[in-house]
Amino acid sequence: MREEYKLLLPSVVILAALVAGPTFYLFYTSFLNWFLRDPHGPTFGGLDNYIKLLQSADFSASLIVTLVFSAASVSLSILIGLGLALLFNEELRGKRLMRTVLVMPIVLPPVVVGFTWKFLLSSEVGLIGAYFMRLIGFGDVSLLGEPTLALFSVILADVWGKTPLPFLIFLAGLAAVPPIYYESAKIDGAGKWQTFKSITLPNIRKPLVVALILRTIDAFNSFDVIFVMTKGGPGVATQTLPMLGWKVGFYYFDLGMASAIGVILLVMVISVSMPLVRRISR
Amino acid sequence: MRNKSFMSLLIYSLAIVAVGLIVFPIAWLVLASFKTMHQVFQLPPQIIFEPTFDNYRRLFFGGQLLNAFFNSLAVSIAIVVLSLILGVPAAYSLSTLKNRVGNNISFWILSIRMAPAFAVIIPYFIIMYYARLIDTIWAVIITYLTFAVPFQTWLLKVTFEELPRELEEAALIDGANKTAALFRVVLPNAAPMIASASILTFVLAWNEFLMAFILTSRDARTVPVLITALSGTHRLDWPIMAAISTVSMLPAFAFITFVQRYLIKGLTMGAVK
Repeated sequence: MREEYKLLLPSVVILAALVAGPTFYLFYTSFLNWFLRDPHGPTFGGLDNYIKLLQSADFSASLIVTLVFSAASVSLSILIGLGLALLFNEELRGKRLMRTVLVMPIVLPPVVVGFTWKFLLSSEVGLIGAYFMRLIGFGDVSLLGEPTLALFSVILADVWGKTPLPFLIFLAGLAAVPPIYYESAKIDGAGKWQTFKSITLPNIRKPLVVALILRTIDAFNSFDVIFVMTKGGPGVATQTLPMLGWKVGFYYFDLGMASAIGVILLVMVISVSMPLVRRISR
Repeated sequence: MRNKSFMSLLIYSLAIVAVGLIVFPIAWLVLASFKTMHQVFQLPPQIIFEPTFDNYRRLFFGGQLLNAFFNSLAVSIAIVVLSLILGVPAAYSLSTLKNRVGNNISFWILSIRMAPAFAVIIPYFIIMYYARLIDTIWAVIITYLTFAVPFQTWLLKVTFEELPRELEEAALIDGANKTAALFRVVLPNAAPMIASASILTFVLAWNEFLMAFILTSRDARTVPVLITALSGTHRLDWPIMAAISTVSMLPAFAFITFVQRYLIKGLTMGAVK
């Protein structure tokens, strides 16, 4: 026993220093009125930052963008991921190679995913955004320049980049269903839809929950892909919460308010992730 | 019978469409890295064109990318080494420590892994600002430890738990202590999986953007930060950007086949095996 603690202690101490201290500091700075270059230094403001945030139109706009973006990206990636997993659960020649290709986007740098789609959708050089749009008679429409279309575009890029995660989770889930279930369904004369409804679906409930939680955490934190494509624009049409936080903290240097946004984000993410963390670590 | 062959035709076509939707955007970007600015602007776009290596030449002799490339490489390698040094003993200990202390620490480590990067980066920016470490790779490395150590520790813990215990027990009976058993028995047996976990850690650090973006401005910029900085310029040099993006995808291309089997575990922290 003793020796196990000895092996554990150094890492735990270093990790605590790296994480616990800064987290408390984040909560503390969220109560300060503090601009980085203010010569007077920080003053204590209590809940000022939170109250100002809740009253600001910028904050509610970003919250709505985050929620709409997350709902769309998570549900689309899960639906497509499930569809692909069902497809790849069938007999298919060259399955391994194709699966490797389909998984590719998840290991690419997210900024490159963003840039790839910026390149395709650009109204200057884009194969889709310039050429294809002109072909179908919408040559004057800019996909990344109009608020609603820009939001659609960043969702599209994010779904392209993140669908491999639910795809892999569902593939593993489907592989774990005992084949005998399907055999007996066949013997009982169940149709495709019936088999899916009463055998496949109940058996992938757990993977579905895992995919849902992991994708939601990821979507709440969205920054890279969107930042490269639109910088949150046009206006604030694609400005997610982390992006608002970046603007407040590192463009206006209002560190207190940026910390408050960090705390709000932390609470949002923790409330989604805790059930999963508890389940895995048991 | 006709019905069956129709089904398999449908399945193949859908699979090929899916593969095409993934391959095409990447291939289109890689192609653009061999085009001139003039060729990129040509509409309708040209599939067959005279390739130029000028973009890559400009990249590797221009200095900017080379600098960012070495920063990314240095940060990612340092992160792999440090996360192994801190992660291996802790992971081994947690894989055998099945009491309340062990469970609580496991829970804590996994929670850290799930923390939003933006919440982590604000205190780190303030600390690095006052420590005068902004725009150094040290700031980036220290900050990356906050996600790399929990990631590596957790993955290795799950991995060690799956190893057969007999060899380790035999070593312990022969009088080896836990540390000796870890180095002589556990590590050699888990080597391939440790390699996979380390590759994933490398890719995680290589791909990270938000933290590096906030902590660096010029000298210590990593590749993703450089890409974003250039993609925001007014008159965008698309071919050069395509070339940098292609270079930044190389680790992913190189490693994906090695870590295929391990990827799902890494992405879900062992929730799915």
